Formats: sequence, structure tokens, C-alpha cells
Amino acid sequence: MKFTWFHLMPYRWLPSDFRERFHGVWVDVPNYLYDPERGHELYNEYLDMLEYADQCGFDAVGVNEHHQNAYGMMPSPNIMAAALARRTSNAMILVLGNSIALYNPPVRVAEEFAMLDVISGGRLIAGFPVGTSMDINYCYGQNPATVRDKYREGHDLIIKAWHMREPFAWNGKYTKLRYVNLWPRPIQQPHPPIWIPGLGSIETWDFCLDHGYNYSYLSFSGYKRAQNMMNGYWEHCAKKGIDPNPYRGAFFQQVCISDTDAACEREWWPHVDYFFNKCLHLYPGMAGAPGYMSEASMRAGVVAQVGNTKSNMGTDKSWKELVEQRYIVAGSPATVAQQLEELAKSLRVGHLLFGLHLGSAPSELVNHSTELCAREVLPKLRPIWSEHEDRWWPQAMPKEKRVKPGSTTLTAARAASIGNGQEARA
Amino acid sequence: MSSGAQSRMLALGDGRPTIEVLEAGSGAPLLFLHGAGGIPLWSGVLPLLAREFHVYAPLLPGFGQSTGLDCLDDQLDLFLHGFDVMDALGLARPYVVGESMGGWMAAEMAALRPDKIGRLALAAPIGLWRDDAPVLDMFGMMNDEMVPFLFHDTNCAAAQAMLGLSALISDKDDRTQAQIEQLIALARGARTAAKFLFPVPENGLERRLWRIQAPTLIVWGANDRFIAPLYADIFTAKIPNAQLHTIPKAGHLLALEVPDALGEVLCEWGKRA
Repeated sequence: MKFTWFHLMPYRWLPSDFRERFHGVWVDVPNYLYDPERGHELYNEYLDMLEYADQCGFDAVGVNEHHQNAYGMMPSPNIMAAALARRTSNAMILVLGNSIALYNPPVRVAEEFAMLDVISGGRLIAGFPVGTSMDINYCYGQNPATVRDKYREGHDLIIKAWHMREPFAWNGKYTKLRYVNLWPRPIQQPHPPIWIPGLGSIETWDFCLDHGYNYSYLSFSGYKRAQNMMNGYWEHCAKKGIDPNPYRGAFFQQVCISDTDAACEREWWPHVDYFFNKCLHLYPGMAGAPGYMSEASMRAGVVAQVGNTKSNMGTDKSWKELVEQRYIVAGSPATVAQQLEELAKSLRVGHLLFGLHLGSAPSELVNHSTELCAREVLPKLRPIWSEHEDRWWPQAMPKEKRVKPGSTTLTAARAASIGNGQEARA
Repeated sequence: MSSGAQSRMLALGDGRPTIEVLEAGSGAPLLFLHGAGGIPLWSGVLPLLAREFHVYAPLLPGFGQSTGLDCLDDQLDLFLHGFDVMDALGLARPYVVGESMGGWMAAEMAALRPDKIGRLALAAPIGLWRDDAPVLDMFGMMNDEMVPFLFHDTNCAAAQAMLGLSALISDKDDRTQAQIEQLIALARGARTAAKFLFPVPENGLERRLWRIQAPTLIVWGANDRFIAPLYADIFTAKIPNAQLHTIPKAGHLLALEVPDALGEVLCEWGKRA
């Protein structure tokens, strides 16, 4: 198995009566609640957590894109990935991802992902979400009736731009460009591995399987509630006669680890409570703009199973309920390892995305959890699925060939100190 | 769906929509363009109009039995579709009545081809925008929250029926098959409305209003909280031959809330020709 340390980057300072005073955490949550100086601390603290995950031996660090959202402060995940590209050295960088239909022209996504791949020495995993309705329809005004079509066209344009070595013209329905000519182009050939996050819509399964992409099921409801959905994905895979390689699948699970089960509840409950009862305070009137979800997905009951309803989202549940129903995998390293093994085998996923920061959790707690995870949990899980080849992982440059950030400055400084630095500069 | 009206399907040709047309009454032709809620029942103002006119009420793709939304990419396609339907029905310079979304469509058609519309009545049309009086976001609200903005009196039968639809939006997976079909039908119609109106229902109609030649009646509810009555004044001022009629104690959905008052002015306006 492979393990990604994935951050949502929530705002930590929502007021205690947030649910009573505001109708949602997303789209129209007023930004007078946001204090930029606290935001400065949070961004740097959160990037530190991701960098620490790299040092602890996680295989990848992950970021994603949300807009006008108090639990996800990364309207531009590429900015975060750029910071990580310079300050991490081993971990791959999972950007899950860029909502293609929001970028005009979508070539922008091909360019920025190429930049990240080049800066990081080929460590990028390129994520292409359609995006939630809140993000793409309500915040960014994309038309819900046509956005999936626009997404597919943008995807085709990006893939072609990554493959072509000469300029070409693109006459699409949504994008018309006389000259498409990618500078720079990615290190990974023909392009970085592509992962598609989804919430269970049938169109997304087809899209992943038809293109050979990884399907990443991002859920806040935990692995037990994901069982039907992932079963559906693998049945779909079998129907198409495609090999059910577990690395075709990834799952996001929120995880809290302390020294003991009892300590875990004591240490983590306030932050878990903050996440499920503040961060996931969602307004159902903006869960899905008309046309965002296809008729086929509506008929398949996707709304009932994964819709943003209170019962699905873990609102007003106790620690015991959240743990027993596996919204969170929480406890001692032994407890967590046992449950995550069950997750990996029951969902048949080769890639596990860890949500090791929850809600309002502070660094000390998160870093301790990260250490315990790396030292005592990951080694137990790593052998699972080792008989399968992971074809959804970056082909990075060998580490010894990659430039070490800062090293050229040192060389220049040394050169300057040999002669007269002042004159050399003049 | 159409007790009191005949329903028939009208195929517009290969690769073009096939639409359901509701028809009732006899006399001079009246083309009725429905709002974003479609025509779930032959009720409200429609039977009253059919006493005086031959009413043709085509349903846009996605509403009722009509299909072919994918044939209409943009607003121009939508307006041309309106003319295609008129031609297929053999209507020459008819009296066109549009409510809300249909009022916008009727105004756009009348501005695009002033020669094709005989008379015009717009009941609380959308299509204009003022920053200080934003039109309510019909795509970002729960059904039960929207009802008070659509009716002056939420105790009226039509408002209560609309509130009843909230039962379809359930947290639990406990809907009957009939309820699922009803929910999907509603979602399909809403998708059509969103395709042409999301996220802000304005696309330059105001600068085209001068082109309308048909004598035009603007009807507005005095207590319309969905589209503020100040928009009535803009329509009336910018359409060359327009009159305003305000209905007291009425909200946005005039055809459902005050069918008698609306029917009376629409019939009177249509017969004045």
C-alpha cells in the first residue's frame, strides 16, 4: 500500500455559536469571520505538518481545492503544492486537484501542473476533480447543466497539450485556441499519473475506468459507509473486463492516533467535534445546483447514500458513535492499524489518504499522531496488496539527480567569497 | 396532467427537440410560455384563458414529456426554438403570454423578431438586473424557504401545494418510486431553467427592449418578493408601446395565486387587438 498525508486546511477559529448564527460553512459564510493574521499562522503551521509528514516517511503529501469555504482554505492548491515542492524532498505531491472547468483556458491547468512537476523533479500526481456543486456552480458560476461536458472537453485539451510536441489549434465548444503550445512540459512522460476524486457518481467511475485513471473516493463518513459505493465501483470495473488492481482505488479516511484508546478520546474529541459540527455545517439548499447530478446518478440513489444530509455527515454524533461507525478511525496505534487493515481489504484500495489533521487540532497533537502512524501503523499496512503493481504512481527523477533547493545559492555565495564579493556583484 | 386540455407531441425534426404541447379552447391563438416551474397541472390562469382563446402551451425540453435539451446550447438556440414551435403550430403573429422565465423568453423573442409577435403580455418576467434589488437565487434555496418569496399569501392553496413538495426532499432513503419519479421530473425541469439562467438571470435583454414592436402589457404583483416591482417600471419604460398593470395583494406566481385577476387583464388585453 501507499500512504498520503492529506490536508484540508480548515479555519480554526469559527465561533462557538457558528451553527446557530450562520447557515453554512461554504459559499456565503461571511469573511469577517476570517482573521488574516491568524490565517498566516495557520497556513504556515499546516505546511509544517505536511513537511513533517514527508520527514516521517509518508509516501505523498496531498492538498485539494475549495472555494469560499471555512474548512478548506485552499482556493489555489497549486500555490500550496509549489511551497511543498521546495520544502519536501522524498514525498510525492498529490494535488487532488484542479477543477478543470474553472480555468479559462484549461491550458492553465496543464501549464501549472507541468511547472509543479518540473520544480519537484517529477513528483506530481495530477488530480482532476469535476468539483463540488458549491465550488464550481455556486462559487465559480459554472453552468450546472453543461459543466460536466465542459470538464470533459478541458480534460481532452490538457491531455493533448501534454502529448503534443508542436503547436496545435483547438476548436472546442467551450474553448477555442489558435495556438496551444505548452511551455514548460512535464518531466513525467507522457504526463503525471492522473487521479480523479469522486463522490460516487457513475459518470466518474466510467471516466476513470475508460481512461485508466485512479478513482479516489473522498468521504467524510468513513470506510464502513463507503462499502456500497466502492463495491459498485469494483463491480463496474469487472463489468468492463478491467483488472481490479487495488491501486485503481484510493480512499480518504480521517484518523486520530494517541498512545491509548482512552487518551485518544480525551485529546481529540474537541477537534473532532469542531470538524463534524462546525466544519461540516452545510446548507442543503446549495448541495447540488439543478443539473449538477445526472439523472442516472439520481436514480442510483447517490443522493440518499452520500448526500449532504445530517445523518450522512456525522452531525450531532457522540465520540462513541463516530468511532463505532468509523466516521473516524481513532485510538491507539494497534486499534488504528487493525481498523485500517479492515478498510484496505474491505474497500480493496491500494492508496490510503490519511486525514490526520481534523478540525481545530493543534500541531503537537497532530504531529504526535503522525509519528505514531508512521512508526507503528504504516509498517503493518505496507505489505497489503504488494502482489499488485502500482501503475498510478509518479515516475520521479532519481533523488540524486534532483536539485536540492538552496544549493545553488550556496555555490554562488562560495564563489563570491573567493574573490571580492562586492566587485563580483558589481 | 392536462385535464381540461389536450396534450400532443410535436416533433420538430431530426436532431431537434420533440415537445409536448397542451392545447385548449377556441378562438384567436394565444401562445403561453411557462415559467421555471413548468405546467404541472392545467390549473390556475390557463383554463380562464382557454374560455376566450385557443391556448397553445408548449413545454420546453425537460418539462413534461418534452425532450431534446441537448439540441439547445445557448439562449439564442432557445429563442429560435420558440419560433420553430410557433411555426410548427402554424401561429402567425399570435398573442404571446409569458410568465416569469417564459416572460423573459417572450420578451427576447419579441426583440429578436418584432414582426413575428402580434401582442405581448409579460407576467413578472425575469431578465433584468439591478445590483440594489437582486433577483432571488432560485437555484440556491430550499423549496420551503422559497415559497414565501413566491406568494403574497403562503396560506393559499397553490403555496400549500408547493410546500408539500418538501416532503420529497428527505434525509432518509424512504421515497416511493412515484416520489422518486416526481423528484426527477422536477430536477429535469430545473436543469433546463438553470441551463439558460444560472447563475444570474440577465444577459443584455435591457438593451434590446427598444426593438419590441408589439403592444405590451406588463403585469406585476404588488408584493412580488422574488423580482421586485421596480423591474416592472424598467420594462414599461423601455418597451416602446407598453402599459403596466399592478395586481394588489399578489406575489410572484400570479398565474397560481391570483388567476382570476390575472386572467381578466390578460383576456382584456388580448381582445383589444
